Amino acid sequence: MSLVAEAFVSQIAATEPWPENATLYQQLKGEQILLSDNAASLAVQAFLQMCNLPIKVVCRANAEHMSPSGKVPFIHVGNQVVSELGPIVQFVKAKGHCLSDGLDEVQKAEMKAYMELVNNMLLTAELYLQWCDEATVGEITHARYGSPYPWPLNHILAYQKQWEIKRKMRAIGWGNKTLDQVLEDVDQCCQALSQRLGTQPYFFNKQPTELDALVFGHLYTILTTQLTNDELSEKVKNYSNLLAFCRRIEQHYFEERGKGRLS
Amino acid sequence: MAAALELSCWGGGWGLPSVHSESLVVMAYAKFSGAPLKVSVIDNTWRGSRGDVPILTTDDNIVSQPAKILNFLRKQKYNADYELSAKQGADTLAYIALLEEKLLPAVLHTFWVESDNYFTVTKPWFASRIPFPLSLILPGRMSRGALNRILLTRGGPPLYHIQEVEAQIYRDAKECLNLLSNRLGTSHFFFGDTPSTLDAYVFGFLAPLYKVRFPKVQLQVHLKQLSNLCRFCDDILNSYFRLSLGAFSGVNRNQWQIDFGEVLP
Repeated sequence: MSLVAEAFVSQIAATEPWPENATLYQQLKGEQILLSDNAASLAVQAFLQMCNLPIKVVCRANAEHMSPSGKVPFIHVGNQVVSELGPIVQFVKAKGHCLSDGLDEVQKAEMKAYMELVNNMLLTAELYLQWCDEATVGEITHARYGSPYPWPLNHILAYQKQWEIKRKMRAIGWGNKTLDQVLEDVDQCCQALSQRLGTQPYFFNKQPTELDALVFGHLYTILTTQLTNDELSEKVKNYSNLLAFCRRIEQHYFEERGKGRLS
Repeated sequence: MAAALELSCWGGGWGLPSVHSESLVVMAYAKFSGAPLKVSVIDNTWRGSRGDVPILTTDDNIVSQPAKILNFLRKQKYNADYELSAKQGADTLAYIALLEEKLLPAVLHTFWVESDNYFTVTKPWFASRIPFPLSLILPGRMSRGALNRILLTRGGPPLYHIQEVEAQIYRDAKECLNLLSNRLGTSHFFFGDTPSTLDAYVFGFLAPLYKVRFPKVQLQVHLKQLSNLCRFCDDILNSYFRLSLGAFSGVNRNQWQIDFGEVLP
């Protein structure tokens, strides 16, 4: 968004309180949604839970195309639509709820750096696994991505998306990576996150921030999604403090609030 | 163990040992870790492939890409990070990701996409180091590759015009520079008093932006306002690269004069 448009949206956002009927849109949970989109959606849900803001999750087959930026999830609050975790955090901040207020400048820089690490390595690895690994593409991704559409649209859309993602991978230098190299990168990323977390309950000690929401979204989805093989989740399972971290957030923010277990 | 390590990379100018960010990262890391690298600068007689530069060649290995080269040097026991704690090692990875996501698009744009900069500075410089007829093709290809990368990673909706993408990437880059400046504070290096991998990466990305004279300089102006980052670059240049710069200007005196000749208005 341009600078003027952003300022405009913040002004409007600041005037109204958070409504009761805010909704979050994502793709169909059972048959359509993919690993990376599920991770993003869960991260936003965790963030909003941490801010104590009520949100209703609605599943729509065309959520990706409804979104203003083409990516899920997006939230519909009042008469505004905001997509992706970064802009949603800004939007919620304009409404007066902020999780990272208590951090000093150096910690804020660290938080942004770690969020970029997760986006750079974990998210890209998830996209690689979904769209560039032939086994996963054939067995899972194509079928799931095209499931709401009739033949031949389901194949066309799936191939189009795959071509787009492969182009992006080549541009950032991941086009020539093998699956083993990608898994090694995931391991490095998890090791860095585990070392940063240490024995603390959250990344910045007592209070969760958007970084915790983002890490939880990705790790929980990796741990609970069934893929063609278990190598990705095995990489995460090597780090016990990350497992405890996921369990803690799941218990505290999802089970105790009466939302029931996350499926 | 004393295998001859030879690094092929783009040469220098404007006071820098190399104007190519990735080459500079590897050179800086080698200086910090004490690796005895023999640097061979690409000029227009070099016959090898230029796509993968920088390239490290030993007796039986060829390694490309800065991350892999640094890993290789670490395995050969040239490690600049042995004094870092586990958390600082994790921070290194995170800040490198920040640099690549937020700063790199704007640096690529300043060097390769912004037309004034590209046609008056970047293209002549690179073309003078590539033999004809490749000098007509390669710079254009590198420029298109940079634009492609920027558009594919940052150019999706709701940014529909190239000007909006440019505005966004420069904003992100300025924020990233501010974050780096906050993190560096008043220390000499990012983790205490000895330089490490992160210092090599930050130096590699910032030094060309700081020193190369461009017509269109918005990011450079912003960087020059952050005096601790400028001091950081100058310190590293003075401490680690001063002696070898003397060697450079001795060998490539003609090139040096050509560079300065182009730069002065």
